[in-house]
Amino acid sequence: MTMTKSRPTVKRRKAQHVARTVTKIWYEKPTAQNPYLAERCYCYGYDLHELIRQKSFVDVFFLLFAGELPSQEQSKLLEALMIGLINSGPRHPATRAAMNAAVGKARHSHILPIGLSVLGGAHSGGDEVEQSMRFLRKATRRTPEDIAAEIKDKFCSSEEDFHIVPGFGTRFGGRDPMPHQLAAYLASLPGSGEAIQWGEKFAARIAEKEMGWLDTGVAAATLCDLGFLPKQGAGLYQLLRAPGILAHGQELSNKPITAMPFLSEENYVIAKDAQKK
Amino acid sequence: MSLQRTPKKNSTAFWDARRGTIYSQKGGWVIGEAIHNHGFSMMDDLVGKKSYFQVLVLNATGRLPERRLADWLEAYFICLSWPDARIWCNQIGSLAGTARTTPVAAITAGVLASDSQIFGPGATKEGVDFITTALAKKKEGRTIDEIFRPYQRRPDMVPKITGYARPVASGDERVPAMERVREQLGFEIGEHLAFAFEIENVLAERFQEYMNIGGYRCAFLCDQGFSGTEIYRILSSAVLAGVSACYAEAMDSPADSFLTLRCDDMDYQGPPLREI
Repeated sequence: MTMTKSRPTVKRRKAQHVARTVTKIWYEKPTAQNPYLAERCYCYGYDLHELIRQKSFVDVFFLLFAGELPSQEQSKLLEALMIGLINSGPRHPATRAAMNAAVGKARHSHILPIGLSVLGGAHSGGDEVEQSMRFLRKATRRTPEDIAAEIKDKFCSSEEDFHIVPGFGTRFGGRDPMPHQLAAYLASLPGSGEAIQWGEKFAARIAEKEMGWLDTGVAAATLCDLGFLPKQGAGLYQLLRAPGILAHGQELSNKPITAMPFLSEENYVIAKDAQKK
Repeated sequence: MSLQRTPKKNSTAFWDARRGTIYSQKGGWVIGEAIHNHGFSMMDDLVGKKSYFQVLVLNATGRLPERRLADWLEAYFICLSWPDARIWCNQIGSLAGTARTTPVAAITAGVLASDSQIFGPGATKEGVDFITTALAKKKEGRTIDEIFRPYQRRPDMVPKITGYARPVASGDERVPAMERVREQLGFEIGEHLAFAFEIENVLAERFQEYMNIGGYRCAFLCDQGFSGTEIYRILSSAVLAGVSACYAEAMDSPADSFLTLRCDDMDYQGPPLREI
């Protein structure tokens, strides 16, 4: 079989693209003199200046992504999550990427996007948060006991599958205490909902296997309870994790390259097959 | 080197072995001796002797391909290098230029945008999954209709298959161009590509839809023995030259002058203005 002989000329499809991009988020009222300049900006209908005067950063952050101002309970829950996730720490691959870029004298404006790109990954990163939100939206229709029983075989058969389901599992072979402490606090807040409560029970159920909450699972459950969609999860996780990534990068950005290890030949082991013949 | 390959539960031995030491199956720089790369000395065996695309494949897969495959890949990269600033990844290059970023930031951002489900290298995994699964089904004796069915809402509707049809336009001028390259380089049509064409013929007859360059590259490279993961890695930077062109043009023009927008060029359809 070969290529279709009667290939017609490539033609533009009739699909109608919009003439103007639609946004429900932001309205810019132009000045009378210059249509490119805005004299007032409105976020979901609220005047930005009024938001500056009357609302907290967390409230406006929620408004920007949810379309409505949060209740007090929602605001408190989101603020707690934002503080809980503010820094993934200097050992996380995303932070290390930012630190490497900084000590390698990358431009200062590149440090954050470099770290955030690495934070998009499927292991302890944004992609896992999205997957975890999808998992939780389905799983919470059933009991944690049911789900734990269903994946029981995975406990037995796999030594390397540490993320038993997205957002839950082990970290470095153990049950990570930090996300449990954060989840327990979040669960105590009036704004917490079904996903966090379900996750608490599920984490307890898998504790005997030394598994439990992961950071990504706590973020996913909280974002679910705040009403966000899975498609928002990856980016929101990156955003909430951004401050620590940037701070650690900036800490190294004026340091010499000797401020981070560069392994000796003894500690860079090249497999025999990879060495020149 | 005897290194524990997988972690064990309730033990940190796997991670302890990797503290302060990098183990590489790929190669590395032994200062004053050589830069080792998959059994080659880069300066002695590769530089000036092998093409960039041969080394790209070597680094991505561990296998040094013959020159003609590298030439095929280079032609493929050209196919994804249009200097058209309407293409999504390219427009990012233009926007970066008009915002006065560095070229590296512009190209990196554009390449990242090509990690897409509808075009560029991001569509590789689904494309490979389709053609390999479809071929396996064919070998089991399934009909084309049976192969199409999971991709259709109704049997009379166009199946939505990664690698066939494309956004904006129907047909794909890059497929015949790459077919010409394939013939010039002396590559036979393998079983994946042959079946990909068989599917195209059915789609063309019934729905006037054709294979796109993504479907073509997946089928061809499967025939060359690459996995979906390997193809994704090899092709990850394929759009960079197109992004570069668009960045350069915008960077060489006044700042903020690329496809300017007035306030009312955005169509606000959110809530009416309201009080807190």
